[in-house]
Amino acid sequence: MGMRFEQDGIGAAALRLLAGTGSVIALLAAWEVLARAGVVSEFLLPRFSDVVGRIWEDALGGVLFVQIGLTVWRAVLGFALAGLVGIVVGVVMARNRGANWFFDPIVSIGFPSPKIAFLPVFILWFGLDDSSKVLMTVFAAVFPVIVATAAGTEGVDKYLIWSARNAGASERDILHEIVLPAALPQIMTGLQVALPISLIITIVSEMVMGGEGLGGNMIQAGRFADSLGVFAGIVQIAIAGYVLIKGMEILRRRLLAWHQETQQISTF
Amino acid sequence: MADASAAGAGGIRIANVGHTYRPPRGRPVTALEEVSLEVAENEFLALLGPSGCGKSTLLYLIGGFLPIESGGISVGGTPVAAPGPDRGVVFQHFALFPWKTVRENVLYGLEKQRLPKAEREARAAAFIEMVHLDGFEDSYPSQLSGGMKQRVAIARTLAMDPGTLLMDEPFGALDAQTRSLMHEELLAILKRTAKTVVFVTHDVQEAVLLADRVAVMTARPGRIKTVVDVADVGGAADAIRDPRFVEKVDFLWGQVRDEALAAQKGGAG
Ligand SMILES: Nc1ncnc2c1ncn2[C@@H]1O[C@H](COP(=O)(O)OP(=O)(O)OP(=O)(O)O)[C@@H](O)[C@H]1O
Ligand SMILES: [Mg+2]
Repeated sequence: MGMRFEQDGIGAAALRLLAGTGSVIALLAAWEVLARAGVVSEFLLPRFSDVVGRIWEDALGGVLFVQIGLTVWRAVLGFALAGLVGIVVGVVMARNRGANWFFDPIVSIGFPSPKIAFLPVFILWFGLDDSSKVLMTVFAAVFPVIVATAAGTEGVDKYLIWSARNAGASERDILHEIVLPAALPQIMTGLQVALPISLIITIVSEMVMGGEGLGGNMIQAGRFADSLGVFAGIVQIAIAGYVLIKGMEILRRRLLAWHQETQQISTF
Repeated sequence: MADASAAGAGGIRIANVGHTYRPPRGRPVTALEEVSLEVAENEFLALLGPSGCGKSTLLYLIGGFLPIESGGISVGGTPVAAPGPDRGVVFQHFALFPWKTVRENVLYGLEKQRLPKAEREARAAAFIEMVHLDGFEDSYPSQLSGGMKQRVAIARTLAMDPGTLLMDEPFGALDAQTRSLMHEELLAILKRTAKTVVFVTHDVQEAVLLADRVAVMTARPGRIKTVVDVADVGGAADAIRDPRFVEKVDFLWGQVRDEALAAQKGGAG
């Protein structure tokens, strides 16, 4: 099937997109049909087309972009900080015995614990504004990055490091030019795990703390029995998540072009 | 150690060197014991020995990658303390950087040497061509065959033009034709810019063909069993039909075979 699409430009790309999202389209169609058939009341399950209408209205008014923008900004900022901190801590843990002694138990306890339970603490410490939402996101998303980076850094083939030393590389060169690129596939995997966590935690924080943003809006809509608003929120979150995850996939493919062949071979 | 008379100013002196691996789990393995060997400046020494006898370990010690625990090694009169571009290594398992293309792999060391850009590019291109990989400059190692990777590793090290070459079975993954082309290229390079070479191989004929002297190591723990002067035979392509050549190959074969058998017995017991 896939083969036939390869050759001809835009039409093929559209077809491929259709093939890739077919199940979602079918699901949405079923939603529409079910709602129209009146099996459940409009209030419990509004029509998909009405939900789209609501989103369209919000878009025309500009509210939509402010709300999505706020949520995505918090999630991406938290994710970026978690990535930065996670990579630094992971590398230091893998290369320094003292740091490993210090961080290892913390990570072992922190990784599996439900981070959202700390939300009240964050509210107490940082209040109800952006900083506590972002910091909550950083706290939840940092662990998979630390663990993946530490494992990737530890696993670097020693002969690669030797061969860089042989070429006259300094220890600093080796960190930047050998260890990080060699660990990059695993680091990217850690980031790919951290990204949806960031979005989820941001939205849950918004729901609990209220205020602007997709999560706050949905809770608000729920309180006011605005079922169209609730479902519009769900669709918006789904779209934001999809765009972020796809963006990350593209980034991974870009950065790991050298790695793809090995991946392809290993999947056969 | 400072006595450079025997090994020559640029030669390698290995005196009573031992090495024991101590893996975090499992018992220690003594790879080398009391190894003494001298390689004169610009001499080509081939190193033969059964698998697992410590040939790679000895190269890593000369290269400065492993700590010298007992005895001493000096290269060019200076005790070995750390790796350096004066001792170019071709690693047994290539150790190419998988995220760099063929060209970038060859360029890496030249950049570290801070050569001017034009010269770096020219040298990289010349050595890639020498190993017949022109057309693959922009390929990643994962897109190359084993023999091609090995040739990138050779080009990368030769392009740095080190005074001492430490080659660990550098032609092991090549077919007979490519291998004999590579022999010619290597000898031509050594004729142009003289180097001290330690060359590990399992191919006795290759050793006699290329080397000035051939050292045979014992089964693990490795020591130097015999050293045979083969400077008078080999070199030319038709050398392999020379009866003196055949004689030396046969003798060395016997030596290596005995040790391989000993290694098997030792391994079983
Ligand atoms: N990192 C290591 N940890 C523990 N033991 C090791 C390690 N590296 C090598 N050894 C042991 O040291 C011995 C010598 O290894 P070495 O790689 O030097 O052998 P070799 O002569 O190069 O063998 P081959 O011809 O198969 O490449 C082997 O018996 C091996 O088991
Ligand atoms: Mg070896």
